[in-house]
Amino acid sequence: MADSDNDSGGAHNGGKGSEMSPREQDRFLPIANVSRIMKKALPANAKISKDAKETVQECVSEFISFITGEASDKCQREKRKTINGDDLLWAMTTLGFEDYVEPLKGYLQRFREMEGEKTVAARDKDAPPLTNATNSAYESANYAAAAAVPGGIMMHQGHVYGSAGFHQVAGGAIKGGPAYPGPGSNAGRPR
Amino acid sequence: MENNQQQGAQAQSGPYPGGAGGSAGAGAGAGAAPFQHLLQQQQQQLQMFWSYQRQEIEHVNDFKNHQLPLARIKKIMKADEDVRMISAEAPILFAKACELFILELTIRSWLHADENKRRTLQKNDIAAAITRTDIFDFLVDIVPRDEIKDDAALVGATASGVPYYYPPIGQPAGMMIGRPAVDPATGVYVQPPSQAWQSVWQSAAEDTPYGTGAQGNLDGQSMEF
Repeated sequence: MADSDNDSGGAHNGGKGSEMSPREQDRFLPIANVSRIMKKALPANAKISKDAKETVQECVSEFISFITGEASDKCQREKRKTINGDDLLWAMTTLGFEDYVEPLKGYLQRFREMEGEKTVAARDKDAPPLTNATNSAYESANYAAAAAVPGGIMMHQGHVYGSAGFHQVAGGAIKGGPAYPGPGSNAGRPR
Repeated sequence: MENNQQQGAQAQSGPYPGGAGGSAGAGAGAGAAPFQHLLQQQQQQLQMFWSYQRQEIEHVNDFKNHQLPLARIKKIMKADEDVRMISAEAPILFAKACELFILELTIRSWLHADENKRRTLQKNDIAAAITRTDIFDFLVDIVPRDEIKDDAALVGATASGVPYYYPPIGQPAGMMIGRPAVDPATGVYVQPPSQAWQSVWQSAAEDTPYGTGAQGNLDGQSMEF
C-alpha cells in the first residue's frame, strides 16, 4: 500500500528531546513548537518547567490518537477508507470537545475554498487520499510536507516553523510563494 | 534553532488582551475576595480565550504556515493500525485543533500555578488541570498518581460542592461524571475566606478516597491562608 512509505524513520527537527531516542521522538510533536504555543497562553513573566513541556507533549499525542481512533471507528462503520476533516470534527463533538468544533469548522471551510481555487476539478466531501498523483500542485506540496522524507524538505520545513513566531497572517505576509521546492519530485519518491 | 524560534515568538501576545492583568486580578482575588469570585475570574479568562480564538481563526488565510509539523501529526495518527488513509485536510485541521488543545490545557494549568503563587508552570499544575476538567479524562494515565495526589484536597473541594469547572454553555451545569453529589449545606459560604477554606478542606478530608493526602494538603493549604 502506498501509505506504507510514511512509516519510514522520522526527521530530526524534534532534536530538543535529548533524553528520548530518535525513534521515540516521533511519537511526540517537537517540544519547541509545543513550548512556543504554551507561551502564548501565559503571561510574559511566566516560566515553563521542562517536565511541564514534556507532559504537554505527551498529552497532545494522546489527544491526536484519541480523536483519530474515534474518527477511524466511524469510517469503518460507514465502509469508508479515508479519514477526512468532517470525521475529525464529528469525533471531537462526540468526545466532548464541542468548543473546538465551531472555530475549526470555519477554518476547514476556508481551507477547502482555497483548495478549490487551486484545483480545477471540484472535490467531493470525501477528499481523495494524499497518494493520488493527479492532485494539484498545492496538495502535492502538502503531501511532500506531510511525508517524513530526509534532506531538503525538512530543512525548509524547519525554516518555515522557525519564522512562525508571528501570527499566521503576518507569517503568510512575510513569506511569498510556495515554501517547498520541487514537491512533485519528492511526492513521487517512494521508499 | 531553539533560540531563533524563541526570539521570533511574540512573548507579549496572549490569547486574550490583558492576560497579565487578568492573572494579577486572579491572584488578588485569591487573597482578598471570596472563593466564588476567584472561580468567576477563572471562568471569565477561559471565556475570553474562546472568544479570542474564534476571532483569530476567522482571519487565517495561509494554510502553509503551521505551528505544528504536519508530517509528525500524520505519523501519530497512523500509529493506530486501524487507520488506513488520511485526507490532506486532516493533518491541517489537527494542527489547529492541537494548538487549541495546548492553549486550553496551558491556561487551565496556569490557573493552578497562579493559585499557588508560583510563576513557573510545573507538571503538577498540568495534573491539576487534567483532574479538574472532564474532557481531559482520557489523559489521567499520563500523569502519575503522585502528581494527582498533591491535589487530592482540591478534588475534595469539588466534592464539597464548589465546582472547579463550569461546563461549556449548553451543557447541564450539574453534570460532573464520576464526582460525588453536591451537598447544598456545605455549598454555602457566609464565613470569611480563611474560615471558609478550612471548612472546605475539613469536608474534603472526610469525603476523598485519598484521606491521608487530603490531610497533608489541608495542613499545607492552611499555612498559605
